[in-house]
Amino acid sequence: MADRVERLTNLLALLLETRQPLSLVEIAGELNEQYPEGQGARRASFERDKSALREIGVPIEQEIVPGGQYAGQTRYWIDRDRYEMRDLQLDDDETRALQVAMAATRPGSTVGQEALWKLGAGLLDGSAPITAIVPDFASLPVLREAVSRRTSVTFTYRSVDRIVDPWGLLLRDGFWYLVGFDHARAERRTFRIDRIESDVVVQSDSKFDRPSDFDPRDAIPDDPKLIGADMSTPDARVRIDAHRASAVIRELGDGRVAARHPDGSIEVDVACANLPAFRSWVLGFLEHAEVIGPDDVRQHVVEWLREVAS
Amino acid sequence: MSASGRSGPRPAEQRLRRLLVMLPWLMERGEVSVAEASKRFDLTEEELAKDLELVAMCGLPPFVDELIDVFIDEGMIWVGVPRLFTRPLRLTSVEAFELLAAGRAAMELPGAEQGGPLGRGLAKLASALGEDDTSGVRIDLARSPLVDEIAEAARHHHQLRVDYWSPGRDEVATRLLAPRQVFTDRGEWYVTADDDRSGQLRTFRIDRIEACELTGETVPPVDGRTLPPPGTWFADGSVPRATLRLGPGARWVIERFPVDSVSEPDADGWVTVTLPVVNEQWLGRTLVRLGKDAACVEPDGWRDLGATTAARVLARYTRS
Repeated sequence: MADRVERLTNLLALLLETRQPLSLVEIAGELNEQYPEGQGARRASFERDKSALREIGVPIEQEIVPGGQYAGQTRYWIDRDRYEMRDLQLDDDETRALQVAMAATRPGSTVGQEALWKLGAGLLDGSAPITAIVPDFASLPVLREAVSRRTSVTFTYRSVDRIVDPWGLLLRDGFWYLVGFDHARAERRTFRIDRIESDVVVQSDSKFDRPSDFDPRDAIPDDPKLIGADMSTPDARVRIDAHRASAVIRELGDGRVAARHPDGSIEVDVACANLPAFRSWVLGFLEHAEVIGPDDVRQHVVEWLREVAS
Repeated sequence: MSASGRSGPRPAEQRLRRLLVMLPWLMERGEVSVAEASKRFDLTEEELAKDLELVAMCGLPPFVDELIDVFIDEGMIWVGVPRLFTRPLRLTSVEAFELLAAGRAAMELPGAEQGGPLGRGLAKLASALGEDDTSGVRIDLARSPLVDEIAEAARHHHQLRVDYWSPGRDEVATRLLAPRQVFTDRGEWYVTADDDRSGQLRTFRIDRIEACELTGETVPPVDGRTLPPPGTWFADGSVPRATLRLGPGARWVIERFPVDSVSEPDADGWVTVTLPVVNEQWLGRTLVRLGKDAACVEPDGWRDLGATTAARVLARYTRS
């Protein structure tokens, strides 16, 4: 029997070249002796080849003959326009830049290498001096397509099945977020991609419009301590020891420094609207930071510590 | 063995996939050396020759001409006038995302320019993918000006003198660093550098650098391929491990820090996690932040670490 790669290549060529859709009987006739004789075995081999081609991204079209002698028969073909990669008209330096970008953010990615070859770029090497680690989730490509096509999606999140219009994706602080319109709640919501509990399913027949000025960065505050903040929430005042002071000033900015002490320690004003986020931040300094006020915030931290210490 | 060290027979799908990107490239050139093509497509010369000989045999009735006119002679590949496979197969949705995310992330790295080749290439890619604006996929790698300074030094092999706060010792010490690689992972920026104090290649968190200046010295460049892949320090088996019980409120630890293993949640949503602990100070601090949502179960010596650390912090609040 012929090498499977040879049969797959011939099948691919046949479906690309045919002027009319072909039934399995016709395909087997053209690829003479490459498929088994018996009807069941032939169907099984063909189905395996078809899914192998689809798996690597070949768009195989199919139709069912509606009437006449061959009514109910399935016929196959490949639309060359849908098969071929569009020429992106990339200049050489642009192709190289995309290759460097891949090396810097996805070293060793086989998918990335495959994509680069399609763009006409060469082999990826993993030695970039400046790099980012970009987390990967199976649902991201699906969501990206749904965002770009303005198609709704369904998934389970916090044990609730949701229908969401995906407006945009954002990577911030190492986490991927989906910002979109949640149908059941009838409002904009933010979802952590890694906390989606099911597959993401595209609802092709459900289209939506997105607000024209939308930017996912506006939907998620930079600083987790600000989540839930409004104008009436006071800041907390925190004293920071000298040897951690310059790092804190760099993080918060000079404008947050309320006092500087002769021993080099400082007092800063820090958002505390999201109390757990604030507590986690301040405890990160251990005994080198102390909440001065307001009293209830200080008391909250003291009680937390008492409970852990007991 | 193939070029990148895999062994065993290559699956048919993988060989076909490789052929479908290789053929258009060969056809565009007409004539290429076997050595160049095999290197570019990560195949041994034998694998490449085998696959090209195979496609040369492909054909459809009435077999008047070859489907793909290709032959190898004297170390050169010759490709005749093509009819099929002149263009690569379209990008899959996964490949499209991979390119877009890599490009957008790289645009956020120090040194990238909007109007530069990456910006232009990315714009062409995005428009082909139907991304009519950039708000569909945003990547935000916020960084301080210090990250840019250190990245610049790494690029030009400049030596740095830094004051670094070490969380393990809780002290600030001056070190001479030869920066080799700058990377961001889980929202933090790091520099991997030759460190004079330990005499080793070490990874430092940039936000713990209190002061930084160029010494004026340059250091000999190293081959980037000899550096460990960024973010893999924790794979080191010599780093001690701890086993923690984490409640639902403490789950962020699993996402924030590298872990070896995570159990299935029990009925109350608690999981058992084993993770590397670079220093005791870090574990103590993490346990204080987690409070009653976490407990250290192993090793024995760290069971009370959360409580003793909390007592130390509490002393500051109760001393007066």
